[in-house]
Amino acid sequence: MPARRIRAFAPFLLILAVACQPASPSPSPPKPSMAPSAGAYPLVLTDDAGRQVTLPAEPERIVSLAPSNTEIACALDACDRLVGVTDFDDYPAEVAEIPDVVILAVVDIELVVDADPDLILAAGNELTPSAVITQLTDLGYPVLVLYPASLDQVLENIELIGEAINAREQADSLTADLRARIAAVGDAVTGAARPRTFYEVSVFAGTIYTAGRDSFLASLIELAGGDPITGDALTFAIALEDLLVADPELILLGDAAYDPSVTPEAVSARQGWGAISAVQNGRVVVMLADPVITRPGPRIVDGLEALARAIHLDRFD
Amino acid sequence: MRASVATRSLVGGPSLGRATLVIGGALVVFLASVVVAVGLGSVEVGLPEAIGIIGQRLGLPVTETWAATAPTILFEVRLPRVLAGALVGAGLGGAGVVFQALLRNPMADPYVIGTAAGASLGAVLAITAPVLVPALALGAGTAWLGIGLAQVLAFAGGLGAVALVLVIARQGGRSNVVTLLLTGYAVSSLLAAVVALLLVSSGRALASVVGWLLGSLGGAGYPELAVAAPLVLGGSAWLLVRWRTLNLLLLGDEAAAGLGVDLVPARRGLVLLATLVTSAAVALAGTIGFVGLVVPHLVRLAIGPDHRLLLPVSCLGGAALLVLADMAARLVGGVPVGVVTALIGAPFFLWLLHRAAGATTTP
Repeated sequence: MPARRIRAFAPFLLILAVACQPASPSPSPPKPSMAPSAGAYPLVLTDDAGRQVTLPAEPERIVSLAPSNTEIACALDACDRLVGVTDFDDYPAEVAEIPDVVILAVVDIELVVDADPDLILAAGNELTPSAVITQLTDLGYPVLVLYPASLDQVLENIELIGEAINAREQADSLTADLRARIAAVGDAVTGAARPRTFYEVSVFAGTIYTAGRDSFLASLIELAGGDPITGDALTFAIALEDLLVADPELILLGDAAYDPSVTPEAVSARQGWGAISAVQNGRVVVMLADPVITRPGPRIVDGLEALARAIHLDRFD
Repeated sequence: MRASVATRSLVGGPSLGRATLVIGGALVVFLASVVVAVGLGSVEVGLPEAIGIIGQRLGLPVTETWAATAPTILFEVRLPRVLAGALVGAGLGGAGVVFQALLRNPMADPYVIGTAAGASLGAVLAITAPVLVPALALGAGTAWLGIGLAQVLAFAGGLGAVALVLVIARQGGRSNVVTLLLTGYAVSSLLAAVVALLLVSSGRALASVVGWLLGSLGGAGYPELAVAAPLVLGGSAWLLVRWRTLNLLLLGDEAAAGLGVDLVPARRGLVLLATLVTSAAVALAGTIGFVGLVVPHLVRLAIGPDHRLLLPVSCLGGAALLVLADMAARLVGGVPVGVVTALIGAPFFLWLLHRAAGATTTP
């Protein structure tokens, strides 16, 4: 039972922001004016856990302990430098060739050591357990902990990894592109009515899980022009009674991306859900984009666009 | 005639030859399990390479035929984990013997009077505190002597819970075994409820909390081992010195009193010692089940109830079992070691029970 529960949580644990993270990338060392590749190392960076990480030379053997980190590294043309990833990694397709060092959410330290990395990209907020981060650091590896608590911090993470692996130019052009797309979503939904939006992460053993109060997911729904109905900040749960009182105008089914039995019909058949405005008005939408909405990599902007489209279909062509 | 022989052997101990044979055999099994477990893992390090690496550590002139990462894998990753398995298994096996004798109850294990619930509460508090009270997040990761807060609080929680149980059970005169067991059960239930409450509100720390509750040897490094080893080994040695008292406990309070021994103060000392050993083991690896309950029974079926042999062999057997179970868990990947001990150990135990029952019914 706990294992299933963790699985249900895994995707959105990733995006939940409870505490404020000192997430801004380090004050970067003086930029060499001409060739950024020469003389930039050794490099000292501050990661999202507030740790100072020293990179003696440009990393050539990178281990990623989270799918979001893998996606960022690959988006910065460093897929061929990855020597270890997780068994959850599925994007881009070529990462399937890279050996897994994280199996069923457990980091296999032996496999990490065997991969002989010169940079490890971990996830913060206990996604990579702090005990594992300590152990890998004690073994002498530079471990960069990434934990974005907002969309802006995803972009900062892309820039931080870009700086770490000497791909600053790729990072700058990627984030410029992503910023433009985020701004376009903002423009499209400006002035539109903000429907009360309930995002269903999962329903497990009668408990309804959704975006937590002040969470990353809630902030994404706001950016996409919705008014998020949130659950408890710690348990991410919302009682059915509270959901009925909040009366969502729109229900987005994130769990439908993994479970084909979750359909608008099944939702309207649930005991008590028939009273919800969204159900009565047929505004229950399957969100197949859930994997990118809940994974803080470069494709999260795809997720934002998918959310905005679901909430304000009329504003997009 | 038979009874008097049994009594004599319980108090007087086995013959030296048999003792040497039994303990020597257990030692060989234990050492073999350590060698196998250090030799196998998710990364293959061949036997010649392993011997070469050890030789190099000892300062011998050896040509390096292995990958540069192999020594790190052997000495920094695998060996501390194997040693932690040995230490925890030994502690739980030994403490299980003592609790079964103390409580004269075959269902007793080292966790039964509150150690596991108390230790769980301590560890879970340490893990969830930064989530529940954001201000504490700054202090997370601080360590005393290289030991994490979760380990310190788990150790303190285990001792504290048993102390509480002993105090409550003593109310109303001298405590007896049944009162002690029931009090332990009630206090454990109360503490487990608090743990469950913390569990549902643990948010992002949920995976870490569940991982701790399932038990894992992965987090133990040399600093933790250096603190836990004296507690477990010292405590177990001290328990072994008192093997005569343990044997007398099997006879019951009246019979022991008839032999001139007052078991009440003796029992309290044994409870505290066994709790010390258990708490140190649990702090190191979380609540790993099954070992402390079943290893004493397995050993008793094999060599009989005399604590002079039962206690040391259960320590060695528990160590070997946990070392091998953790090796299997490492090889499979992602499986908690407690699951492996139960999956492999339970059917084996059932088979032994069945065989023992058959042996007593057939003349």
